[in-house]
Amino acid sequence: MNLLFAITTGIMFGLGVFQLLRRDLIKSAMGFFILFTAINLFFLAVGAFTPEVPAYIDPATNQPIRDGQIADPLVQALILTAIVISFASYALFLSLINISSKRYETVDSDNVDQLTQ
Amino acid sequence: MSIVVITALPFGLAALAGALRSRLPRVIWTVLTTGLMAGLFGWLLSFLPVINAQGAVEFALEWVPTLGLTFSFYLDGLALLFGLLVTGIGTAIALYTGFYFDDNAETTRFYTLLFAFTGAMLGVVFSGNLITLFIAWELTSITSFLLIGFKGAKSPDARYGAMQALLVTGAGGLALIVGLVLMGVAGGSFELQTLITMNLADHPWYTGMTILIMLGAFTKSAQYPFHFWLPGAMAAPSPASAFLHSATMVKAGVYLLARLYPTLGNTPLWTNTLTIVGLATLLFSSLMAIRKRDLKALLAFTTIGQLGVMVALIGLPESNGLKAAMVSILAHALYKAPMFLIAGVVDHATGTRIIDNLGGLRRQMPGLAVITGLAALSMTGMIPWLGFVAKETLLDAFLGDPLALVVIVVSKALTVAVAMIVFWDVFIREPEEEIHYHDPGNGLLVGPGLLAGAGSVLGLLLPWTIIPLITPAVPKEFELYLFPGFNLPFALSTLAIVVGVLIFLVRWPIIRAQLPRIPTGEEVYQAIVGSVEWSADQLLKTQNGKVRLYLVVILASFVIIMAASGSVGLAIDPIQLDPANIIFEQTDILKLLLLLLAVGATVAAILFREHLLAALAMGVMGYSIGGIFLLEQAPDVALVQFLIETLATVLIILMIGRINTSHREQAMRVNFEQRRIGLVRDGAISVALGFVVMLFALASVTNRPRFDTIATWHIVNAYPLTGVTDVVSSIIADFRGTDTLIEIVVFAMGALGVITLLSAGRGRPQYNPIYVRGLLLQVPGIASPFTRAVAVLILPFALLISITHVLYGGSAPGDGFTAGVISGLGVAVWFVVYGYGEARERLWWIKPGWLITAGLALAFANALFPLFIGDAFFAIQKPAGIEAPVGLHIASTLIFEFSIFLTVFGGVSLIMEAIAHPDEMSSDLQTEASVSDEAANMVEEMVTK
Repeated sequence: MNLLFAITTGIMFGLGVFQLLRRDLIKSAMGFFILFTAINLFFLAVGAFTPEVPAYIDPATNQPIRDGQIADPLVQALILTAIVISFASYALFLSLINISSKRYETVDSDNVDQLTQ
Repeated sequence: MSIVVITALPFGLAALAGALRSRLPRVIWTVLTTGLMAGLFGWLLSFLPVINAQGAVEFALEWVPTLGLTFSFYLDGLALLFGLLVTGIGTAIALYTGFYFDDNAETTRFYTLLFAFTGAMLGVVFSGNLITLFIAWELTSITSFLLIGFKGAKSPDARYGAMQALLVTGAGGLALIVGLVLMGVAGGSFELQTLITMNLADHPWYTGMTILIMLGAFTKSAQYPFHFWLPGAMAAPSPASAFLHSATMVKAGVYLLARLYPTLGNTPLWTNTLTIVGLATLLFSSLMAIRKRDLKALLAFTTIGQLGVMVALIGLPESNGLKAAMVSILAHALYKAPMFLIAGVVDHATGTRIIDNLGGLRRQMPGLAVITGLAALSMTGMIPWLGFVAKETLLDAFLGDPLALVVIVVSKALTVAVAMIVFWDVFIREPEEEIHYHDPGNGLLVGPGLLAGAGSVLGLLLPWTIIPLITPAVPKEFELYLFPGFNLPFALSTLAIVVGVLIFLVRWPIIRAQLPRIPTGEEVYQAIVGSVEWSADQLLKTQNGKVRLYLVVILASFVIIMAASGSVGLAIDPIQLDPANIIFEQTDILKLLLLLLAVGATVAAILFREHLLAALAMGVMGYSIGGIFLLEQAPDVALVQFLIETLATVLIILMIGRINTSHREQAMRVNFEQRRIGLVRDGAISVALGFVVMLFALASVTNRPRFDTIATWHIVNAYPLTGVTDVVSSIIADFRGTDTLIEIVVFAMGALGVITLLSAGRGRPQYNPIYVRGLLLQVPGIASPFTRAVAVLILPFALLISITHVLYGGSAPGDGFTAGVISGLGVAVWFVVYGYGEARERLWWIKPGWLITAGLALAFANALFPLFIGDAFFAIQKPAGIEAPVGLHIASTLIFEFSIFLTVFGGVSLIMEAIAHPDEMSSDLQTEASVSDEAANMVEEMVTK
């Protein structure tokens, strides 16, 4: 299954890059977010174990709550951090587009070529 | 320690100059600056007995111990001699500067630079470490650049000269640092006190590092063919020219060569290079000097010549030239610095430095004429001036080399002629035209007078002054007399004076003769600078300002590099690629479906023309991925993914609403009217990049560690160490807590960035309650009584859920972050339903800025607290022995989770508030707003009636 995740990571990454390269900056921002998602999927794919139970501990025994292979908690922590940061960047990117619309009267990246103004 | 203070004091005065100079009376400031220089001179002089007794004084501060870098100082005879030179000449310069400038703001800038330079120069000579020496060396280059360009605002020459000096010495500096690093590695130490006890002549890198270090020294000390920057540097104010470009900074190269003589010197390479370059510089610059008619340019060329003398002397084997070099350094500083200061006075008094336009100044300035005479006599090498001693020792050092003697005698004869030109043509010869003259004041004469006077009497006081000074700086025993008897050097010296007088008498043909043009260093410099500018122009042509194209180039280069390296994909284990190994069980089929849905939604997001539809497709993609997280037994991640996806969808829809519709429509059109070739290009890059990433991901997956990973440690230790049963939460909030701390700071900064960008150029909003309520009428579908009631209910529930997330974050999905997002969504509903004004008015108690501040303050206090009880940063312990209510685990992460909640709640509310601000309405909505404004006015009128 992880191999499928890896392959999907590649597909999503390619789609994200294509979207990022659009002239329409709003589409471009979406491409940005697709890339973030693809990378999170990658993190999931490289988790150390093939998960069967969530990474929760029974306080009584200090063992996983159910029998079975526990999910890799480390990659989950990494993904959590990545999601939060990606949202903050996304919000900033969208604000910049807003500025572009107000100040340069366009959201077409090819028309925004006078950034010194 | 006192060496550090001596080096630091000028920097301190440089920092204070801005505050002090304009507040203090001019006299007191001049006394203060002169006094500081004189005090440093005296302080350094007090080291002389110590140095004579024990050889050197060292002081070291640990800097980067792991890299073997120390901030060390090393004061021996050589360093002391240069230190005294800097502070001694500096005293006269400071005094002179006090009278030189008209009182204005520019003067403060000059003082700042002058003292910064003094500190840097003392840093060069007192550094005990190659790296600190280099840093101080570059600092002198930078201050020199700023001083040459001092009048740059008005004078293009000053800008050109400053740039030229910086580029030439900077290029030399690059060679120097490589040479110094090679030397440090070869010698096994960067400390001077270690290096000067060894000789690296037999090291395989010797030739390379010596040539590199010489390049640094030659550019700094203006040796042929790098000399040309020094005449260009004459655009600096005269006190700076006298100080930097005659007496001290240009001698830094000489200092470095003398300093490294024990380590690198006394080899054929050293001797041949230094004597040939030095003597060639001497001859060439003497020929140039006599033909110059600008007083300062003429002096600059004689300075270059004297630097050549010093370089050549240091080149001599067995330390034979060091005595003469040290005498030359002192003698030259004592006659050339006053010469430059005199040129400054003449310039000040008459407004010109061109010798042809000057003459007869002895009548107006008899005192200056006397001082010039004294300095000129020392320059000609007349007995008993110090210049005479310098010339005798120089000739004596080169006695075995007839060719060198010829060069020296010719050059000295030319120098004699130059000195006579300076004195005679400026002060005695009758001027051809009337000279415009204004009295510069006698204060300007004190500085040059002191220096020229010292140069005149020190020759007579050799045993009590010069000899004790240079003894610790010269490694071998030597003898020095004012008049060693009628020997060959004396005969040659007399010959030089006689020839010099003859040249002076027949000088006009020499000055006016047309010389054949030879390529100069300056032309090479201009060619290099020109070609750099040409390439810059060519490069600029590829920059069309379209950011998208840059991205294409960057991504394509990445793909090409990855493909060319051929490393990607090699590590994929083929056995695991077997389809039988891919799908194991039935839930995998569900995952497969979700993956397909995600990919399909992404494709849809690309293909949809309408932004709103694309945004919704993005939402579908995100939710599918969230489902996969859930199936992959990662409930915490899935929860965050669902929440963030919701928030992101709300965000982009609101943002789309804020962007002018006509702009969006134009962008939508061009998106699909792209030329086919462009689409193919983008598609090809996307496919290639996706393929590279896929290979990378496959390689990672097939090679990931299976059993022995740090994850196991986290699973075993999560509960015992943190009291948290959710391992992911324990990693986020405890084990990797610092990461999360940085993460919430980034999140807060992102939110602040959004509000800063969106509120750019608008003041604090003024609310007209009626106006803002009127706005609501435009969204009747949303602002129905039902939705209003729901919005009122949602917020308390959201806050309640948030509290449970914070409290139970350790044992259930959800944590401080999800709590913050949920509450933030509750606020977002208010902004959507009630509009900006009313939401702000009724939710006055939610202050996003304060929430962020409180959250971050709490987080940092929590992280710093263990430091105060003697533990490590962020070492929060699980509180023991506290009885918690049933079902609630008090864990080490509780306070941190709460601070995360506050920060994220504040951040999300801030973003929502920024977007909901009425000014952010797109223009079509604003027109309606003005209509409703009229309606509001009508309402107001009715109310008043």
